[in-house]
Amino acid sequence: MATDDIINIQNVSFYRGDRAIFKNLNCTIETGKITAIMGPSGSGKTTLLRLIGGLLQPDEGRILLFGQDIAQLNRKQLNQLRARMGVLFQSGALFTDLSVFENVAFPLREHMNLSADDLYNRVLLKLEAVGLRGTRDLMPSQLSGGMARRVALARAVAMEPELILYDEPFAGQDPIAMAVLQRLIKHLNVQMHLTSVLVSHDIAEACAISDQVILLGDGRVLAQDSPAALQASDDPAVKQFIHGEADGVIPFHFPAPPLQQELRGQSE
Amino acid sequence: MIGPIADLGAGVLSKLVRMGEALLMLLQAIAVKPKTSSLPRLIQQLYVVGVQSLIIMLVSALFIGMVLGLQGYTLLAAYGSEQAVGQMVALTLVRELSPVVAALLFAGRAGSALTAEIGLMKATEQLSSLEMFGIDPLHRIIAPRFWAGIISLPLLVAIFSLVGIYGGHLVAVDWLGVHSGSYWGNMQQAVDFNEDVLNGMIKALVFAFLISWTALYQGYSCVPTSQGISAATTRTVVYSSLAILGFDFILTALMFGGAV
Repeated sequence: MATDDIINIQNVSFYRGDRAIFKNLNCTIETGKITAIMGPSGSGKTTLLRLIGGLLQPDEGRILLFGQDIAQLNRKQLNQLRARMGVLFQSGALFTDLSVFENVAFPLREHMNLSADDLYNRVLLKLEAVGLRGTRDLMPSQLSGGMARRVALARAVAMEPELILYDEPFAGQDPIAMAVLQRLIKHLNVQMHLTSVLVSHDIAEACAISDQVILLGDGRVLAQDSPAALQASDDPAVKQFIHGEADGVIPFHFPAPPLQQELRGQSE
Repeated sequence: MIGPIADLGAGVLSKLVRMGEALLMLLQAIAVKPKTSSLPRLIQQLYVVGVQSLIIMLVSALFIGMVLGLQGYTLLAAYGSEQAVGQMVALTLVRELSPVVAALLFAGRAGSALTAEIGLMKATEQLSSLEMFGIDPLHRIIAPRFWAGIISLPLLVAIFSLVGIYGGHLVAVDWLGVHSGSYWGNMQQAVDFNEDVLNGMIKALVFAFLISWTALYQGYSCVPTSQGISAATTRTVVYSSLAILGFDFILTALMFGGAV
């Protein structure tokens, strides 16, 4: 096993009811890189993120995080591991009853014994890094969607994690907010020596900043390669997704009996 | 033939599973050593759950007391014993109406708000977010709200009885002219602390447990969509209202049934 893989997913299967979300999924995520996990809606991208975060347990197989099997850890060990990673949830998940400042301060107050001044400075620096120092006294409800996501990003990196997971960071953002988030993800990855994993279906935005792309579909990894190599790929499923074609290997029609059988008064 | 029976069995089993889940949630949330650092959160929830329910309780109690005074006076005056109106108002309130009406109002006012709040926290991934920070949402979010419910409702019930009795006084004494001395005197003679006041408080405690538990579990287990949250909020009010009325009968039968 390569030691520079921060996440190692081995033969993972995960079921929702009878439906298999993943079947024998295998992939690795390299330390220090930005990896984009892409795939059509419903291909289990967010589920994979929750599996990595230990919020869900796989039905089969194992997930190694920082070289440790997360299913084998007890609650305390899992929480120690979680302290080394940050998550940016799709909705931002800011605590609505706390101000912007208190939201960013939250993980620091819980896990570190900082003096009041150190805490204040650290929060301010994190907010400055996302360009929102001026919003520190606002409540989350007073922020726009893009700003809320940036505050959530400041909170996710407040503990200076080694790994950060982004769940659909670009979904529903205007072009400016998207560009800002792209820049932040790239910058933070370099400045803080992070490993970034982002789940997205915004192909252009995600490909522009990532070093590696994992394409999910049908409960398995369709392709794992650099963005440029995927653009040039001949695989029909990869081509269909990357170039956004409406019909192809992934069918336009939801499975159904032939139309002739379903139309009334047509069978005789 | 066998279909409906199998469906019934499956329905009962899934209800049992849900009840088991609800019990586990509650045990995990409250079976921890209390820490002084969680006191501010409890106080904040006492304010939200208890103090903010005060207005609706005060107004309802005043009107219910006034209605009792009026009805009691008309009924008793027919037998020339209108001076007993004080004991009638007090006993009705302390034994039955205060715990039941206050609990029903509490389920509608505080229970539904708790379910919606926790459901929204789930939908906006705040609960997952807490977990990723290594904090158990059951301890942080569920436990203080549960204890706040258990503490507030009995206090609200006591206030409810007090205001209701003054409401009865307002109508029977100040308006209809019953002698104030016999209003209070008859009440003092008829109301027994253990038999009436304490039993009413035990009811309040049981109802508080039922409402808090239902509201928190419905919020915690809801489907995190707008439909899911609205369905869970409705279920909180319906289930806890039915539970209050059902348990009220059982408790009344146990407490006062043998005294006849």
